[in-house]
This record gives sequence, structure tokens and C-alpha cells, in this order.
Amino acid sequence: MTKILSQIWVVIVMNITSIGQRIWMSLAAIFAVAVVVAVLLSFLAMTEGFSKTLEGSGSNTVAIVTRSGSQSELNSVLSRETINIVTTAPGIAKDANGDPIYSPELYVIVDGIKKTSGTEVNLPMRGISSVGFELRDQVSITSGRMFETGKNEIIVGEGVLREFAGFELGTTVRFGKTEWEVVGTFSTGGNAFESELWADAPTLQSQFQRGSSFQTIRVLLETPDDVSGMAEMVENDPRLFLDVVTEADYFAQQGEALNGIVIFGWIISIFMSVGALAGALNTMYTSVANRAGEIATLRAIGFSNTSAFFGTLAESIVLSVIGGFVGAMASYLFMDGLSASTLGASFTQVVFKFELTTDLFINGAFLALGIGLIGGIFPAARAARLPVIVAFRGAN
Amino acid sequence: MTDETLYSLQKVSKGFVKGKEKITIFDGLDMSIEKGDFLAIMGPSGSGKTTLLNMLGGVDQPTGGEVWFDGSRVDKLSEGNLAKWRANNIGFIFQFYNLMPMLNAAKNVELPLLLTNLNSKQRKKSVEAALELVGLSDRAKHMTNEMSGGQQQRVAIARAIVSDPKLLLCDEPTGDLDRATADEILEMLQLLNREFGKTIVMVTHDPAAAKYAKRTLHLDKGEFVEKDLVA
Amino acid sequence: MNGVLTLLKWVFRIITAPVWVPFWILWKLGEVTGLNAVIEAIAMSTGFYVVYKNLTRKPLRLSLTMLAIFVAFTIYGTLTAFQNAFDAGVELSADDRLVSVNKINFTQPLPISYVNRVRPMEGVASVTHLNWFGGYYQDPQNVIVTFAVDEGSFFDVYGEDLVMSEEAKAAWLGNRQGLIVGESIARLNGWEVGQRIPLNSNIFSQQDGSSDWDFDIVGIYTGSDPQIDTNSIYFHYKYFNETQSFGGNFIGFMAIKTEDPDLNEAVIKQVDDLFANSPFETETVPEKVFNKGFIEQIGNIRLILSSVVLAAFFIILVIVGNSMVLAVRERTSEIGVLKTLGFTSPRIFRMVLGESFLLSIMSGSLGMLAAMGMIGVVNNAPIQLPTLIMTPDLAIEAFTYMALLGFITGIIPAVNALRLNIITALSRN
Repeated sequence: MTKILSQIWVVIVMNITSIGQRIWMSLAAIFAVAVVVAVLLSFLAMTEGFSKTLEGSGSNTVAIVTRSGSQSELNSVLSRETINIVTTAPGIAKDANGDPIYSPELYVIVDGIKKTSGTEVNLPMRGISSVGFELRDQVSITSGRMFETGKNEIIVGEGVLREFAGFELGTTVRFGKTEWEVVGTFSTGGNAFESELWADAPTLQSQFQRGSSFQTIRVLLETPDDVSGMAEMVENDPRLFLDVVTEADYFAQQGEALNGIVIFGWIISIFMSVGALAGALNTMYTSVANRAGEIATLRAIGFSNTSAFFGTLAESIVLSVIGGFVGAMASYLFMDGLSASTLGASFTQVVFKFELTTDLFINGAFLALGIGLIGGIFPAARAARLPVIVAFRGAN
Repeated sequence: MTDETLYSLQKVSKGFVKGKEKITIFDGLDMSIEKGDFLAIMGPSGSGKTTLLNMLGGVDQPTGGEVWFDGSRVDKLSEGNLAKWRANNIGFIFQFYNLMPMLNAAKNVELPLLLTNLNSKQRKKSVEAALELVGLSDRAKHMTNEMSGGQQQRVAIARAIVSDPKLLLCDEPTGDLDRATADEILEMLQLLNREFGKTIVMVTHDPAAAKYAKRTLHLDKGEFVEKDLVA
Repeated sequence: MNGVLTLLKWVFRIITAPVWVPFWILWKLGEVTGLNAVIEAIAMSTGFYVVYKNLTRKPLRLSLTMLAIFVAFTIYGTLTAFQNAFDAGVELSADDRLVSVNKINFTQPLPISYVNRVRPMEGVASVTHLNWFGGYYQDPQNVIVTFAVDEGSFFDVYGEDLVMSEEAKAAWLGNRQGLIVGESIARLNGWEVGQRIPLNSNIFSQQDGSSDWDFDIVGIYTGSDPQIDTNSIYFHYKYFNETQSFGGNFIGFMAIKTEDPDLNEAVIKQVDDLFANSPFETETVPEKVFNKGFIEQIGNIRLILSSVVLAAFFIILVIVGNSMVLAVRERTSEIGVLKTLGFTSPRIFRMVLGESFLLSIMSGSLGMLAAMGMIGVVNNAPIQLPTLIMTPDLAIEAFTYMALLGFITGIIPAVNALRLNIITALSRN
């Protein structure tokens, strides 16, 4: 066994030290694998960043109530009456006075200008109260101050500041006829709420002619993840046509919006892998042809064909692993943390950052290894089958 | 120089610079080849015989002196004109045949004709005639790498004569062949010289091969030396 | 091991049979009729034969290199068709059509009274209004682009793009629950004229609280251009307005057809000025601008798609470039021989370049054919996507890229061959 291993080792060393002779071919193979891995990782990082952003938005201690079938906050409408009924449901946490802790919210879309394209995009403007503010995890005012009730003041998320123009602290923005002053900026730890503009709910109601209606309510749950009390009440009360889910579930579902991109990314990458594979095979066949004399000589002095096989395979894998590493590094340097925005489920921009996690790197490594393995196995088989007689024919 | 002179080298010199060293191969070499000659050039390695052959074939240019071929000067021709001149006047036969492995015998022979104005019918006729002459008519469609060395060299000869050049240049034409096959090839060259009036210059190591020539010149350190090896 | 490889070889041959069998039959026919010999003679005269033989002398390397190019052009063709389909929404917008939305955002409503105030304006040929319905069919995930529209004026504004028979139009006008559906969406859901279908809305509910609306499919419209999207469905605003439970007498946006595109600016000014300082200010833009902005909301699709295509091209550039350099280097002594025979350097330069062109154009064309196949598959797939087509422009662009690829990958080896000194070439033997 050790004999075989040391034989294989000799062939590996022989192959790898001779890579210099076909340096351009080897570099081409490495480059091709690198590009394929980088493309795959870019798609995966985009989707990962998007879904992390949305998943990170949802808390399992908060339930979100929308009109039945509305799918997103935007489409939902709740009357004051409905809100009064549903907030009496069991399972809602109470404050010191024994009142349920909930936040009725408005969700309207306003125009913003995307910095990268200079075009108008849909931004979510949320009307909330101080309770609503407290219901968000990790929320903090990062500059300026909170808006005052009854005033046309907004605070803007950091994602908005990053991607869209015209929301700097102190500026006045116009939505239709109404004017709003940006009095503060806030962070919620990088999740989807940072793509929003927040204002005082009653002020927003009056400025946007919404009367006393809201779109959603968020309630604090007594027990995390337990919405059964509310769900039961909604089911049994004929006046209520509502959906109740935890905020975590709500956003998890929205985070799946880009999952199609993952499939697209894989299809594209696998397609491109075929091209990279062609490069790897070319390189390896050339390598075997270059090494034919040496391999046959080793065979002539008693090396097994297994050693020729694995020695060649190893070279291919080394090349593609280098390629995979280069591709992963490149995408890490250029993609990780890249800020972007797209249209989310609520028909508004979601600002997110590309995120390369260990899991994704493993995906890239698999792809690179796959190319190395397939790209090496056929040339390796040829090396193993080289007739020993080649050794006596000279270098040609 | 008479009308019968095909080739004339006058005070030809050839040298090149290798690193800082200036190496001289020929310094004032004179040589004359008559039409219809069959000349063997022998000499040890490094004597300059390959360089001489290259100059005769117009693939290498002298650094000094004059080269006259059939009444016109060729050492001052541009690369393009030289290529045309080669196509019209010279046929090459190499030690390792140098056939195109991806083409069959007939196509290999046809190659030089692509440089002429012949149409495909005329080309076909010339190829057939050349292959007939070397005795390979039945192998026209064979791939050359499936042929024996002797057969390959005969294809090479057919290629060299197909465009009817005035001069055949042979570089160790039998160097890769066994004795019997070598004799066949040399007899063929002799035939071409005698029956078809081809002028032939052959560089060889092999005294037995040189015997087929009409005369033999010995080259040593860039100069022709008198040696009475030929009986 | 050998057995496995032989088996793999046969599996590969059988799988790829549809590709090579037709060529094999063509070749056989050529052999029998003597056509091959004629072609061969012509090819030989032009030097193409030698180029072709050079290219095909290492079948394994050739097929791998071809495969790489093939894949890159398949990706290119398919993704560019996608991109064109996205662009078509912008490019096919009518020049004489304006979209007037609420200035705050197009999801905010406008009062229905605006329509009648815009209609008599100078330069306005016709005006209609549309409401986003948020419709879905059977499954909330199966969202369908549904608009409640003013059935009387709808075809006045959109009639040049959406084509439907006069009988169907009359049937639509005469049926309050009438629904007209686009060709693609009808095919996707298997809808036919005369069918009665329920649709749900994820925004609106009926007065009884349910979100079901029943419709009669009365007509299927087609696009006047194959790239016009026919995934939308339209029904009567009156039916919508009378049955839904809130926000009555509001419309989503107005679509205005002007008498002449030159009057667009004037109409835009008139409309927006009229409603300035009202609670519902308008923002009126040409349809082209509106559609462009809408697509760009999703993100820079163009950038993503072209990056992928660029990456694919980069891969083949290095792979093909390398194997061309290698192939020509291996042939050094042969090139020397050709030069010795009297082939001029420019001629050999052209031969090498011809080889890389041939390689690139052969494999690229196959890739574009495959892309056409992919487009066919995508168009027939059960997903809502705009219709992809391979336009002549795209084909021309593809050939330009093939030529460019052939040039870039061939130029280095071709120059090497051009410069190759006969003596060096022959002494390497």
C-alpha cells in the first residue's frame, strides 16, 4: 500500500514540477475554473445576501397581521374596527397598564431616485408609532433624532441613504404636495427595515388621505413563535378576514423571492463549467502527451499504472483547486459586502449586501473539484493505458 | 559562367553572431553547378554543408558575395520573391520526409501545385504523373503516416518533382532508411537525373550514397577540399 | 477500465446521435454522388482544404475547443435574447402614448374624474384608465398581470399594439364580466374563449369579504409584434368598481394617446399643470420612460446578463487562444516545410488565421443554433416570461463576435507563423 502511495507521489511530483513547461495551458485551465467559480459565487452571494437581509428582519416574538390573501404589507388594509377587535386576542403581550402591545402601521410607496441608475424607484414609507419603533430588534437612531408626532418629519434607514439620492439628514423631500423633513437616520442591523422611510402614522394617514385605516399591525407575542391564540380568534370571528404569522415567517417567505436566481446561477455555472472542463481536459491531455515518455519509463522500471492514473488525476485536481481558490478569492474581494437593491415582494426596493458565507464557498469548492475530477479522469485513464513501449521511442 | 551553368556562387560569405562571438561559416566560397549535374556534398558535422544547401535552396541568405541562378541574381531577392522563386525552381527532399500528416499522399504531392496557376484538372494530371514516376499510383489515397519510410520518401520525391523544378536539393535523403530502401531511393534520383535531366545536389554522410552522384565535393570548415575517396 | 471507457464512448455517441447522424448522412450522400470530390477539389484550390485538415487533425482537442465555444455562444444567444425581451418592453413602447400616474408614486391612486378633464385637451387623441387588480389564478403564487380598465376607450389607446377581432371586442363591450386575455397567458393556463374562470385579488375584496371574482373569457388578443408581451388580462372597470369594498371611484393611472409624438411635451405640461397643487398631483411621462424605469427597479439586469456573457467569452478566449497557439507550435516544422516549398509568409499567416476563424464560426454557429433551441424551450416552458426571439440583429452581432474571437485567438499564432524562420523551424525537428 505504502509502495503504491509512494509511486503515486513520484508521479504527482513529476507532473507538478513540469507544469512550467505548459504554463500557459495550465494558467488557462486555472483561469477558466476561477471564472466559473466566481460566477457561481456571485449569484449565490447575491441571493444569500437578499434572503439574509429579509430573514434578519423578522422577529419570532412579533406577529404580523394582514388582510387575508394580501401576500404583502402593501396590499393589506385594516380598518380601525378590525384592529380594535384583533388586539383583544389572547397571546398578545401586555404592558405595565395591562394594555396589549401592538403597533398599527401604514405602508405606502413613494418615489426615490436610485443612485446607480438615476431612475425613479419605489421606496416604502412606513407610518409607525414609538411602540412600533421599539418592536424592531437592534433598532437605533444613528444620527439626528426621532420624528415628532404630528409633524411632517421622517427618519430614513441607512440602506436608503446608501442606495438612493436625496435623503440626507436635514433635507426636505416632497411626495406629491406634501413636504417632509429628514430629521434622523436609523439602523436596524442591516435588515430590510433599513430600506424604509419612517414617519408618524397619524400624520401619514392624514397626508395620504388614508382616513383611520392602517395596513398591518404588529403585536408583541407572550410566547415567541406562538400565534395560536390569535389565529384561533381570527378563524372563529366572522368579521375578521386576516392572516396572522410571525414576522420571522413572513420575511422568510419574502426572502425566497430570489431563489429562482440560485437556480439560474447554477444552470449558468454548470453550462460554463462545460467550457472550463474543455480547457481542463485540453491541458491534461497535453500534460499526458508531454509526460508520455517519463510515464512509460516509470512503467518500464516497474511502476504500476495506478500510479500513472492517480498522478495525472492529482495534477488536474491541483489546477482546478487553485482555480477555485482564485475564483473564490476574487468574488470575496469584489462581491462580498457589495450593496445592491431590487424590487421585493412588497413592490418596493430592498437594499441588501452580497454575502459570501462558508456554505457558499463549499459550493464553489465542489464545482471546482468536479471540474478537476472529470477533467482529470479521462486523461488519467489515457496515462494509465500508455503502452510501455513509448519509453523506448524517445521523446516523440 | 557558361549557358550550361545553372548555379554560381561567387565569393560567398556567411556568418552569424552567437552571443558576443562572431562565427564565420563561409568566407569567399566559390562554386559552380552545371545543368544536369548530380552533385554529392560530403563533410563532417559543422562543415557547413547544411548551410550551403539552405543557401542553394534560397531559405538562407549569404552575408556577402553573389549568387546567380540560371542567369539571374537571387541573393538580393525579397522574402516574398524568394518564396516564388523556390516554388518555381527548387524541389526539396528532406531526411525525415516532412510530409503533412493530415493529408493523403496525393494531396501532399499536390501542395506545391497550389502555388501555380494550374486548375484542378491539370493539377490532378501532374500529381498522377509524379506518383506514377515514383511507383506509388496505387497509394495515392493513403495517409502518409501509414506508409513505410521508403514509401514516404518516394511521396516526398513526387512532391519535389511535381512542379517540374530545375534543381532538386536533397538533405540526407537516405539518412532514415535501411540500405536496400536507400538504394531504391538513390536509383530513383539517378533516374531523374539521367532520364529527366534534373540537376541534383545531395548532402550526405554516407559514402555509399555519394557513389550514385556524378561527382562529390568535400566540405570542411567552410571550404571545398580535394579528397580522392571516390574511385 | 477499458470496458468502462468503451461503454462511455458508445453512450456519448448514442446521446449525440441526433447531432452527428444528419452530417454523416450528408457526407455519405456526397460520397455516392461524387459531390464530395468536387467540393474537395475546390477546397484544395483555395487552400481551404489544408486549413480544414489542419483544424481537424486532432479530433479530441478540436471537439473540446469547439465545445467551449459552443457553450459560450449558447449562453450568449440565450441571455441576449432574454435581454432583448426585457428591452423590447421599452423599445416597443408607442411614441405617442403617455402614462400619467400619481406624482407620489404610481401605486398611489388618482380620482376617476381626471379622465374626463384630460380627454378634451388639445393634442390628446384618446385617454383610458387602468387599475392594478393584484390578480391571481387558483394559487396566490400564480400572479397574473390583471387590470380593470375602461373598456370603451381601452382599444382606442392600445389598439395598435394589441390585436383582437371586432366580434371579440363587441362581445367584451357587451359582457360586464367579460375578460380579455393575452395569447401567452391563455396558452399557459389553457384558457379558451367561452370559459368562465374565477380570479382572486391580493389587494381588493368583494363587499361580502371574499376576494373571488368570476369572469367570462370573451376574447384572446395577440401582439402586433411577436415581442409584445401578451401575459396581461383586462376586464371592465365598472365591474370592479361596483363590487369591490373600498377606495371607489379611484383609478390607478391614465394612458393617454397623443395626436402626434411632437405634441407629447405640450400634453404633459397641460396635464401636470392642471392637477398641480391638488391633493392628487400627476406625473406624466412617455410610456417608454415609464417602462424603462419600471424594469430598472428590478435592478441592473443588463449588467448581470452581460457580465455572465463576458465571463463566458473570457473563458473561451484563453482556452481557444491557448489551444491555437499550441496547435500551431506543434506544427512548427510543417510550417517550415511549407515555406520551403514556396508558400509565402502572408499566405501561411492567412492559413492560420483562417483556421481560427473556421473554428470560431463553426462552433459559434452551432452554439447559436442551440441558443435557438433553448429559446424554443423557454418559450414553451410553463412560466410567465416575455417571448424570446432570435432577431437578425442578434445573429449579425453573434457573427461579429465569432469573427472577433477568430481574429483574437488566431492573431498570435498567425504572427508567430508569419515570423517563423525556415531554418529554425526545420532544425527543431
